[in-house]
Amino acid sequence: MMILKDKVIEALKSVYDPELNINVVDLGLIYYVDVTDSNDVEVTMTLTTPGCPLHDSITRGVRYSIEGIEETRNVEVNLVWEPAWSPEKMTAEGLRLLGR
Amino acid sequence: MMLPQTMGSETNSKLPFSFIIFSLIALVLSQILVLVNGQMVVNGIFRIPAIWSAAHLLVLGWALMVAMGAMYQLVPVAFLTPIWNEKFGFIQFFVTAIGIATFSWMLYISPHNALIPGILMLMGILMFLFQMFMTMRKQAKPNILTAFVGSALVCLFLTIFLGITLIYSLQTGFAAAYYQAIFKSHLLMGVTGWFTLLIFGFSYKMVPMFSLSHGFPMVQARYVYGLYVSGLVITLLSFFNGNPFLLKAGFFLLLAGFSVFSWHISIIIKKRLKKKLDHSFTFALVAIGLGNIIHLAAFISLWSNQNSALIGPFIYLYLLLWIVLSIMGYLYKIVPFLWWTYKYSKEIGKKSVPSLKEMMNESIVVPLFSLFVIAVFAVFFSIFFETILIFNIGQFVLSSVFILIAISILKVLKK
Repeated sequence: MMILKDKVIEALKSVYDPELNINVVDLGLIYYVDVTDSNDVEVTMTLTTPGCPLHDSITRGVRYSIEGIEETRNVEVNLVWEPAWSPEKMTAEGLRLLGR
Repeated sequence: MMLPQTMGSETNSKLPFSFIIFSLIALVLSQILVLVNGQMVVNGIFRIPAIWSAAHLLVLGWALMVAMGAMYQLVPVAFLTPIWNEKFGFIQFFVTAIGIATFSWMLYISPHNALIPGILMLMGILMFLFQMFMTMRKQAKPNILTAFVGSALVCLFLTIFLGITLIYSLQTGFAAAYYQAIFKSHLLMGVTGWFTLLIFGFSYKMVPMFSLSHGFPMVQARYVYGLYVSGLVITLLSFFNGNPFLLKAGFFLLLAGFSVFSWHISIIIKKRLKKKLDHSFTFALVAIGLGNIIHLAAFISLWSNQNSALIGPFIYLYLLLWIVLSIMGYLYKIVPFLWWTYKYSKEIGKKSVPSLKEMMNESIVVPLFSLFVIAVFAVFFSIFFETILIFNIGQFVLSSVFILIAISILKVLKK
């Protein structure tokens, strides 16, 4: 049976940056996913650039995707700028989608 | 250390959208006016009410309104500060929109009654400057983008101030000896000051964003700013003291500033992660190269005896191939984004939503924009060689392309 953390990561893969059309996991935007014993979920994430115009939409999408999982209780999304995003944080699939 | 950041600075998308929708309608109307009065234009009769109306609809109704709308969207993004007062923004939109619409209408039906709509339009622009001043002063850490955009706004103010001085001078004879100098300064501040500095500033935000560039230097931007602004000041001074050496020095600094900007953008593009760039964005980059060539040609022409005859066609090329092409290229990115935010930003994560690329028919970009560039060159050469037939065909194609572009952008609203 899939554990909740894996379900959260799967759900996050359904959230796409609409400009790049790459999901937030492959784009390397998700830094940490913490799941407590009482199924509270805390996600720490970043964006490719501070002041990304899709700031609110993407963080909202991350929250909605996790809230859509039945077992989760409270969801907290922390947006951080340190450490800053860099291309090294992307997955091989993300780089492939960029034509790299 | 990880520092949580929860502040969002998204503008209510209805505000920039109001400006952009208005601007696209103004664009279509301006081109219909040109097409309907095509025969007069072909015969070299530009100073007719319909053409005054069309020119103001194009420059103020389209280019200025689109720039305002884009700024309502981009200032919070670039400066990480929300718009000072959105409600004031909507009031500013209505005042400016009514001002421009009635001003253009009055120019068409009764030019001597255009003063009151003109004042309304002026109030709208001043309200916009006030809104931007109040928004940008809240920025925590001003940067080089602040310098570009702030200076662009100062130039917009000077353009209006010089424009009013021109009208006053015409009516009363005030500063009549300086009329030509004021007129040239009005053009310089409006075209190279306001629009170019604004596009420079926002390019530094949009180019890395649309190409996903990373790890590029920003030090060159300071040289761009220093050279270009010095060029503006020296050129302005040369208009008033009539010193040809000063004019050449000013044009040289403008060329140097623009060239460093082109070079800097090429460095940023080389550092991109996104291998294949969107077509419309590519045309915005092509516009930089064209702007650079026009700066070079204008500088070289200063050594020619025909300089005064060349400057008009050069301004035309600069407006169309640098400013208009840049704005159109970015509009194809900004409009889908605004509509997506309005329609899908609350759906993301709940269900499958389209990508921004899927919001726009990209296949028409290359043929339409290429046709645009060809038509502009056709009109330029027809003015230069006084070939009426080519002018007629070029202007017809250009107006048709403008209308098709406006319609294709408006079609996003059906997605």
